[in-house]
Amino acid sequence: MNARSSKVVSLCEAASTIKDGCRLTLGGFAVYQKPMALVRELARQARKDLVIVGAAHSFDVDMLCAAGCLKRIETSYVGLERFGLARNFRRLAEKGGIEIVDYPELISLDRFRADQEGLEFWPVEGLGGNDVIRFNAEIKEITCPVSGRLLHAVPAAKPDVVVIHAIAADEEGNVVIPARRLFPQSADITFSRACDHVIVTAEKIVPRSFIKRHARLVEIPSYRVNAVVEVPFGSHPTPTLGRYIADDQHMAEYVEASGAEVRFTRYLERYVHSPQTHFDYLDLLGSRRLTSLQDLDSLQ
Amino acid sequence: MTSRPASPYERLAVVLSDEFNDREVGFTGLLTGSAAALFGTAIPLVAMQLAKLRHAPRLTILLAGCYHNPDFRELDCLPDSEHSAQLRDLPCEAQMLGYPGPWALKRGDVSFGFSSGVQVDQAGNLNSVCIGPHDRPMVRLVGPILQPEHMSMFGREFIMMPSHEPRNIVGQVDFISGVGYPGGLEGRRGLGLRRGGPELIVTPKCIFEFDKVLGHARVRSIHPNVTASELRAATGFDLGDLSKVPATRDPDDVELQLIRQVIDPRGILLPH
Repeated sequence: MNARSSKVVSLCEAASTIKDGCRLTLGGFAVYQKPMALVRELARQARKDLVIVGAAHSFDVDMLCAAGCLKRIETSYVGLERFGLARNFRRLAEKGGIEIVDYPELISLDRFRADQEGLEFWPVEGLGGNDVIRFNAEIKEITCPVSGRLLHAVPAAKPDVVVIHAIAADEEGNVVIPARRLFPQSADITFSRACDHVIVTAEKIVPRSFIKRHARLVEIPSYRVNAVVEVPFGSHPTPTLGRYIADDQHMAEYVEASGAEVRFTRYLERYVHSPQTHFDYLDLLGSRRLTSLQDLDSLQ
Repeated sequence: MTSRPASPYERLAVVLSDEFNDREVGFTGLLTGSAAALFGTAIPLVAMQLAKLRHAPRLTILLAGCYHNPDFRELDCLPDSEHSAQLRDLPCEAQMLGYPGPWALKRGDVSFGFSSGVQVDQAGNLNSVCIGPHDRPMVRLVGPILQPEHMSMFGREFIMMPSHEPRNIVGQVDFISGVGYPGGLEGRRGLGLRRGGPELIVTPKCIFEFDKVLGHARVRSIHPNVTASELRAATGFDLGDLSKVPATRDPDDVELQLIRQVIDPRGILLPH
């Protein structure tokens, strides 16, 4: 292959294209398939004033809150599902240290559909009386020009950069999303079509022949992708469907640490700042732990 | 067969199952934490299964909103992860792989749903966003999630409150993330809400229904072993005259047998 067509970069290089203050979409959904290696790299690089625009968040946003990287967040959820509230996020919010714009869950995805359609807004029904609109001047009341019904125009998400974590991509950025996918993987496809600066972290960079055998599963073609990074276990401690399950033990350690600012500073030192590379981070977790997380999926 | 008396959870499941009709589509989220999971997920699932066995065979159950009529016999424990390998591999009739998906939410495909929050008020408004001012909250919670959609796009909503204390059942919520009946049904129409809204509020102490003209919750029944004065003390708004309010009904033997022997024989959903 022509070397010039390769979009493969290091994690450090990929993160450095995400500038202070930009509107950033982190793929996955809630506690599933979050591009955590890239999130750790942003924390390492001490990015500032990011605006997170997304659908549902967890460890990604919580860690960036603790690392001082965020100015504002536009989403439907920040929580750790069965591990409860996101404690770093909660502390920052209660100090007034982050601007929070609350969006309903599916309407937060409609915003990306607007981007995909090249529209400035998406019309929705059902927001009347909800405090989501009381605290958000960017949502406008409109009248349906056909029926006269009361609707609301929800602004397009307009991310400057989208980062998703996928199981496989080739060097040029053709991205495979498995057929046995669920909601978070489909959300990644939606995000990737809403922006002209897409970074893909992938479990594995595969040869062109693999892409050609799975063309029907290449939901994100190379021309939509700007950079590809090979990052095995790149969503750890969140799962990557079809590859590994959630690392409950690490999540529990994270949650315990996040109970107090001083404890979480130590967590960040140990897992984010001390490891020189992502592989140092994986070494810290150890082979016993990582291999115990395998998701065998269906064999047929 | 003399059976052990109904547990509080079995009682709520049975009362809820009376509310569902054949051919409806029922949506339950996946709540976590023992009390929340019981009220938000397990009781609704048992209630819907019971309705299917008794009077609503073609009711569709949406587990976590995604998994259509899952085979609960294959479960080893109540699921606590919405989009995990465990649920991907649980046998069911259809999965929701993305949005927009199999159900057309905004056309009204979902007949009813279940939701929960930290606060619900007399008008049926629900809050899962914050306690105190929005820009400087005393407690910041997870966010609106799917509550706005539940309370405006589903046909009707069952609000499942795992705790009934004055701080949960309040005069007015601190943040409206799910709209009840401000100004009654007329008020909803003025807000552009064409359907939906809360049907019942289910708590560990009582069941509320709504005067939808006035837009007020009122007590429909009080659970056995709860007194009217206890209920008043635990509620953040005036309950009016409770003298004619009946007790929440007991399950009959057939219902208990179906729950214990057919729906949940291993006690995975409801603790015995």
